[in-house]
Amino acid sequence: MKLLRADRLAELAAALAARGYRVIAPIRQGRIVRLAEWRPGAAIETAGISANSVKDFLFPRSEIIDRYSLNGGDFVQKEVTPEAIKTVALAVRPCDAGSVSVLDTVFNWDSNDAFYNARREACTVVSLACVRADEHCFCTSVGGSPGSSEGADAVLRAAGGGEQLIFEPLTPKGRALAEAAGGALAEGEAAADPVAEIPLRFDIKAVRDWLAGNFESPLWQEFASACLGCGACAYACPSCHCFDMQDESNRKESVRYRNWDSCGLALFTLHTSGHNPRSTQTARWRQRVMHKLSYIPQRFNLTACMGCGRCSRLCPNGLAISETCEKIARLCKANHEGGTP
Amino acid sequence: MSIVDAIRADAAGLLQTGRAKLVLGYRNRQGRRAPILLADAAGADQLVYDAECRQNLAAYLRKPEVRQQFPVAVVAGPPVMRSLVMLSAESQIPAGAVTVLAVGENEYHGALDLAATAQLLREKYADPAPDEELLRRVREVAAMSEEERAAFWTEQFSKCTRCHACRSACPGCYCQWCISKRNVPQWISTADLSHGTFAWNITRAFHHAGRCTLCGACEAACPQGLPLMLLNACVAECVEKEFGHRTGYDLEEKPLIGSWRPEDDDGFVR
Amino acid sequence: MNIYKPVVMRLLEAREEAPDVRTFRLEFLDAAARSDFFSRYRVGQFGLYGVPGAGESTFCVASPPTRQEYIECTFRKNGRVTQALQDREAGQCITFRGPYGNCFPMDSWRGKDILFVAGGIALPPVRSVIWNVLDRRSDFGAVTIVYGARTAADLVYKDELEQWGARPDVNLMLTVDPGGQTPEWKGKVDFVPNLLKALPAAANSVAVVCGPPIMIKLSLPVLRERGFSTADIYTTLENRMKCGVGKCGRCNVGPMYVCKDGPVFTAKQLETLPQADM
Repeated sequence: MKLLRADRLAELAAALAARGYRVIAPIRQGRIVRLAEWRPGAAIETAGISANSVKDFLFPRSEIIDRYSLNGGDFVQKEVTPEAIKTVALAVRPCDAGSVSVLDTVFNWDSNDAFYNARREACTVVSLACVRADEHCFCTSVGGSPGSSEGADAVLRAAGGGEQLIFEPLTPKGRALAEAAGGALAEGEAAADPVAEIPLRFDIKAVRDWLAGNFESPLWQEFASACLGCGACAYACPSCHCFDMQDESNRKESVRYRNWDSCGLALFTLHTSGHNPRSTQTARWRQRVMHKLSYIPQRFNLTACMGCGRCSRLCPNGLAISETCEKIARLCKANHEGGTP
Repeated sequence: MSIVDAIRADAAGLLQTGRAKLVLGYRNRQGRRAPILLADAAGADQLVYDAECRQNLAAYLRKPEVRQQFPVAVVAGPPVMRSLVMLSAESQIPAGAVTVLAVGENEYHGALDLAATAQLLREKYADPAPDEELLRRVREVAAMSEEERAAFWTEQFSKCTRCHACRSACPGCYCQWCISKRNVPQWISTADLSHGTFAWNITRAFHHAGRCTLCGACEAACPQGLPLMLLNACVAECVEKEFGHRTGYDLEEKPLIGSWRPEDDDGFVR
Repeated sequence: MNIYKPVVMRLLEAREEAPDVRTFRLEFLDAAARSDFFSRYRVGQFGLYGVPGAGESTFCVASPPTRQEYIECTFRKNGRVTQALQDREAGQCITFRGPYGNCFPMDSWRGKDILFVAGGIALPPVRSVIWNVLDRRSDFGAVTIVYGARTAADLVYKDELEQWGARPDVNLMLTVDPGGQTPEWKGKVDFVPNLLKALPAAANSVAVVCGPPIMIKLSLPVLRERGFSTADIYTTLENRMKCGVGKCGRCNVGPMYVCKDGPVFTAKQLETLPQADM
């Protein structure tokens, strides 16, 4: 099997960069760890989880999807070529790798999004299994696990008490990466260290049953009461994918941006007439939870929440998908046991 | 009685007697503090208060769900108290709608109306101790050349994802149609290119000139670690120097950028 | 292939229907684009009509697939994009993406009586069905059209209303809200749902109902009472849309995407969707 010393991850990055890969890895920037382009000399953070997710590099915050040159009332359409930079997302968490399956489905069901697909095809995802977790992680509650290889082209696993990393290629892209890594990966044998133990925070089945029957519940107002309707959770979330399309121009040219958007933002469903079907934050928080845990599963048979816990860590006001699910699960349990919720 | 016990007792009392239909306070959540909106006196024992309480609860007063529940009570330290006074001066709070559970540096001042809160601020919290580290960084930025400063802020804002957590966290951001959302015309680019992120962050800072109480909620809310307090402090330094204005001490104050005094400097008019 | 890339259309004619409401007649610049569109277009579908620099706006295609020299759309000037569209002059171009969405299952209506109920600016999606039915008149039974607006000036397609009213094989009832009539007004003065009460009991019929939410809300019980089953009442949902192809999430209601599973829904299907989100 392929091995490398855990403190030589940067050498792997350097080897890949030398072979033409743009290397994205978790890098410390001030008080935040962020998935960013690795440059020689940067240390790769293998503990913890980045504030942003691998989604940034497959479905960026803003991109141009159409372009025109303008001349008075006339216009000429220009070509827009989807960007496809050969990339490796190195040492991302398994929850991030798993989210790629959700994004693959959304951007390819019914019609194929060439912008997403170009980046996707050019990207090799290498996840790093988690030997530690924090109190915000809840991947096991939504069908994931700290050692999952879902969505990954290759997996790194700690071995020898953290001194070594096992590199396991899983797909042709992963194998191509192993080959490109050359001498940065050595042959050897090692046993993987145990992955983190992440207790179940809630019973997802009970939660989904409750969601299916309780759209009108007055409890949604309580769940949403502290929400101030920013986009922090949706933007950090690896599987959230809602977007806006917005034209901007000067007299000579116009571009059409595809920008991240969030169902939690007040204007998301606002009609030009002024009617807003989801005019309260309660309705918007409910939509967020339902879309990820009820509607997408119903429609596509996958859960659109990876349990990465970013919403829980980043929400300034203490909301999280996990928090709402835990409250619902406690309620179901109390009802089931005949107590008052 | 400890400060927290006193807050809990007052909160429960206000809810029980109906003098407040909602208490906006802080609770523990996984080792940090988060806002809680209590409607039931029985929940008052969840209330906590310490230096880790960084959200500005005055921001909740723009939520229709909260306004529908007026009168409400708000657990507030000095920066939040100043925000409440500022909002009242800007006609955002109907008379009698808010009771302040006023917490000072080391003491609890009780349940006060806004007039008493403004007076408390004038008497005891008129000169907040300056954050020396922040001031040092402000001077560092001020000492930069124009080009260096532009490059510095462009670099800082490049991490902005336009999630608007800063806006949501800020009590001064109560515009129903934020300028960043207006598209006729599109004042601020929606893209994450520098002309968008730069314009957004600078515009927001300027819209708070003379209204910002340096509560820190915006920087605490930002998921990307933007140095928003540094930006706000640079603006506040200028406001202090040019106008000697500090918001939140006078219910009758006129907003800085919405009013003019004859003695204002007009040396920039050429 | 870029699914977000529009084709270009030329504005042939812009007709003033009502204050701020215009009908655009558009032709495809590219023959391949035109034949691609008409190979797929069915009545009920919508498109995204745009002006580079301003953006795109969603309107139904208000003309039927039986007329292939042009397509039409009718819209009110309301915001940035509709303003930019209405600033276009005949001969200038706009962009178009479509046809998107599902359609009215007209083949299953053969031989049935059809009741059309529309209010105000919601006549356009119904009009494409009416034209399609009239273009294939012998395929269908009795045709009744009940159309109302707030005032006489707000009625759209005024010339066509006259044509439909003059046809012996169409029963047309026009109405304005109380207070909306002018001295010359010859039609009814009442709310649309009230007019439905006077209709004969439904037998082997379908209803197509489009209008402001309040009109739909009050019309549905009357139609049910007249004997229409909820599976035979069709309406179109309007949502804010951006991508039109089921990816941006904006038109998501329950497990449905209005741009893919709609905009045409039966009242029966609507009952399964969260009402509070509509």
